[in-house]
This record gives sequence, structure tokens and C-alpha cells, in this order.
Amino acid sequence: MENEEKVMTGEESLRIISEMINKTKFDIRQGSFYLLFWGWLIFVCSLSEFLLRHFASFEHSYYVWLLVVPGVFVSMIYGSITGRKAKMRTYTGNLYMWIWMGFFIAATVLFIVHSKSLYSVAPYILLLAGLPTFLSGFLIKFKPLIAGGIFFWIITLAIFFAGTDTYSLGTAAAMLFGYLVPGYMLKNRVDHDAV
Amino acid sequence: MTQFKELDPILHSQLRLAIISLLIGIEIAEFTYIKEQTGATAGNLSIQISKLKEAGYIEVTKKFRNNYPQTLCSITKLGIQKFAEYVNDLKDYLNPGKQK
Repeated sequence: MENEEKVMTGEESLRIISEMINKTKFDIRQGSFYLLFWGWLIFVCSLSEFLLRHFASFEHSYYVWLLVVPGVFVSMIYGSITGRKAKMRTYTGNLYMWIWMGFFIAATVLFIVHSKSLYSVAPYILLLAGLPTFLSGFLIKFKPLIAGGIFFWIITLAIFFAGTDTYSLGTAAAMLFGYLVPGYMLKNRVDHDAV
Repeated sequence: MTQFKELDPILHSQLRLAIISLLIGIEIAEFTYIKEQTGATAGNLSIQISKLKEAGYIEVTKKFRNNYPQTLCSITKLGIQKFAEYVNDLKDYLNPGKQK
């Protein structure tokens, strides 16, 4: 930046303002880690449970969901490391984080309330998961994520009508199109990397 | 080309305007981040940050992270208000026919 006391023209002032505002945009690719991490984790859990239940007749197939516990810790550690490394915090980034934090808290409450009938809770979790996905899509102006959120709600309806027995396959499909596809698109996006 | 001296003198300076424009969209930023984005020298940046702080446009917090000092800056309500006024005044100067 040149001599700070130099008299500027209006055009120069506008150029500085727009140049600086453009630099403060939230890097939307930051969000792809969680989409891919949770997308793969839940996809593997739901598919494993389906296979164990239907092809191995394993009575406690729901044990695979215990993988979610270390998953929470990995997310927390990742969030803590990236948060400490960050040299600035944008309002968009903060809102993005709190939307997902709100979902995590609501999902935990739902699990506690429905701890005796975990099978019946799955459609509600998907219903709930659609909201942060949908809102995040709007926040970062990324249509595949908006579509992903809508897909969660379609899957919730499909499970409701097809019977809760289909929830593991439904959840796997929701992860594939709701998190993984938008997650990879977000990660590889180079033409519009900030909002 | 029109030159403006009537605009808020605190903001009508290249580096101070750059700092405020950067902070307007950020909740909080480290001194090093502002230095990187503005391309200013540490000394010059410190002086301009102090001027903005004295005017009440920004808030400066000193902390320690991993035993290293850390300076954090954020825009105040007054800073937001002054920036909005500056942008409005600038619009009037750039579009004199559309003045209120």
C-alpha cells in the first residue's frame, strides 16, 4: 500500500474498497472436509449395517453406528486445529459453523430421546440433516448442496412410505447424493471459490 | 479528476480505508492477515491501526497464542457507521447529478 496520506480520487477509493471486500470472502471449499468425512462415515455405517443385517443375519448390526463416536472426536480435533490456524473469521464462516453445530446438538437430543428405538429415529435424523445442508447451500450460493438438502427430505418421505426397514439403504443414498456428490464438487471447484 | 478532501479524513487515506474495508466483512482478523492482504509494512500498518483505534473505528485486542503475541482487530459499531457514511458520500461525489 502506498503512502497513506496521499490524496485519493473517488475512483481510487472505490477500487480499494472493492479490492479489500473481495479478499474477505469465505472459502467455500473449507466446508467440503466435513461433507466428505461425514458422507463417507455414514455411508459406510449404513451400508455395513444393511449388509450385516440382511446377508450375515447379525443381530447387533447397529453396533457399526458406534463409529460415529470417534467421528465426532475427529471432527472436533479438525475444527480445533483449523480454527487455531485461521488468521481471520468471516461472518459467513461463523454462520456456516453454527448451522452445523445446531444440527449436531439437535441430532444428539433426538438420539437421547429415542435411545430405546434407534431404528425409528433414522428418518427424523435425515429430516433434520436436510436443513443445515439446504441452508449451507444458500449461504455459500452452491446449488448442488441446496439440491442435496432437498434430496434428504425426499429420502425421508421415501423411507416413511417404504417402511423403516429401508432406512439403511435410504441413508446411504442420502449420503451419496446429499453429502458426497456436493462435497466432491465443492472440493474441486476452482472457478468460484469464495462467497 | 476530482479530488476529495471533504470526506472523513480518518477514512480518506489509502491504508486506513483498506483496513476498514477489509474488516467490514470480517468478524475478527489478525494483524499478520491485515498486513498480508494490504501489502503494507508492519510499521506503517501499526501507525494506521493506532489512528483507527484512537478514533474508535476499530477495536484492538492483544493475546498470546502458543507463547507468541497476537494482535486481533475488529471493526466497531462506530467504524461500521462511519464506513457507511463514507461510501454514501463517495457515491454523491461520483454521481453529482444524483445528489440528495
